[in-house]
Amino acid sequence: MPKVSSQQVLELALEIGRIILQSGGTTNRVELMMKKVCNCFGYPETESYVTPTGIFISIKDEKGNIFTSIKRIENRRIDLGKITRISTMVNCMEVKALSEQELQEQLVNFNSELKKIDNENPWSPWIRDLCGGVTSGFFCLLFGGSWAEFAVAFLIGAVVTFGLKYLEKLAFNNFLLNAIAAALIVMLAKTLDIFIPYIRLDNIIIGGIMLLVPGLSITNAIRDTMSGDLVAGTARAVEALFITVGIVAGSASMLKIWSMWGF
Amino acid sequence: MRPFDTLTLMQFIWAFLAILGFSIRSNLKGIRILFTALSGGLCWAFYLIILYYSKSMLFSVFVAIILVCIYSEIVAPRLKTPVSVFVTCAIIPLVPGRGLFNSMQLYIAGDNLHASKAILQTLLIAGTISIAIAIVSSVTNLINKLMNRF
Repeated sequence: MPKVSSQQVLELALEIGRIILQSGGTTNRVELMMKKVCNCFGYPETESYVTPTGIFISIKDEKGNIFTSIKRIENRRIDLGKITRISTMVNCMEVKALSEQELQEQLVNFNSELKKIDNENPWSPWIRDLCGGVTSGFFCLLFGGSWAEFAVAFLIGAVVTFGLKYLEKLAFNNFLLNAIAAALIVMLAKTLDIFIPYIRLDNIIIGGIMLLVPGLSITNAIRDTMSGDLVAGTARAVEALFITVGIVAGSASMLKIWSMWGF
Repeated sequence: MRPFDTLTLMQFIWAFLAILGFSIRSNLKGIRILFTALSGGLCWAFYLIILYYSKSMLFSVFVAIILVCIYSEIVAPRLKTPVSVFVTCAIIPLVPGRGLFNSMQLYIAGDNLHASKAILQTLLIAGTISIAIAIVSSVTNLINKLMNRF
């Protein structure tokens, strides 16, 4: 017996779906989470269809009226923390027989918690920039770099992570974003190579590129395909392919430009 | 390089720290960043150890990813984390960034023969990673279904 209006439940479910999908969750997870939320608020008959670029959901109330809503998803970016926190939140929900007032309170609670998860970052921005540097630097060491190369890769990783934040605000597509970031990595490495003697550029550039490789897209493509979402799986695989091509195009053109310059 | 010496340990630590940085960069928080970092480190260590014994790169990538995916499937539910978060962090060290760069360099240099060889190698590694993830995730789905039934 639903006591919350279907519109409110639809809004809550769409918001949850939007945040998970924008942070890079699998479509299967989005469908599960939305179904669970609707079930908790007394709408067990929910059907949803999720692709990486959009959410379709329709719920049915006890009189047989069907309400449908569509949400377009744009500018996706990796944020594993948000996926984890929302999944924890939704998994803590339980199907209980509550009075109307309690259900309304619960709805308000969930909405405020969602807003909190969506807006706040657990780490301050400069720590995340430094961690981009740490990732790139240690990958450089992992592939056989020296400590001097570690320092250069650290610097490049931090600068690129910092720069990516501002590039994302310009709303480029994924291809151009990764091409520009890869070109930036190569350019910085080549510039620092002039001033710092005895460093090999291969390891530094590979360390930087490891920041951009589409690990998340590959994982999602496979897991989506295996759970039966063929459309989502194919879309993610193509996304991974295009990110890779973008990285290659950006770094290759920058390397070629520098070699034409004569360094 | 022997499989269990300080060099392998050092490589394990580098991979661990790199994935620690990656998980903080993607906003993870709390005790689970240590476990995601451990998955990345284990992935690279398994790869090195199996590479020493089998002398086959693709086979060692395959087995390392399978082992690390099993680790993720076991640890992730206990930390209330989606499994895909763990798998994403775990496969990053083996994603062929180096192969990509090498093939790109050879391609620019006009060495088409070696470039196509390197591109094929890169694609094979990516394919192997995908197959390994697919096997573990579908087997886990099957096991979960069986557990629910009985």
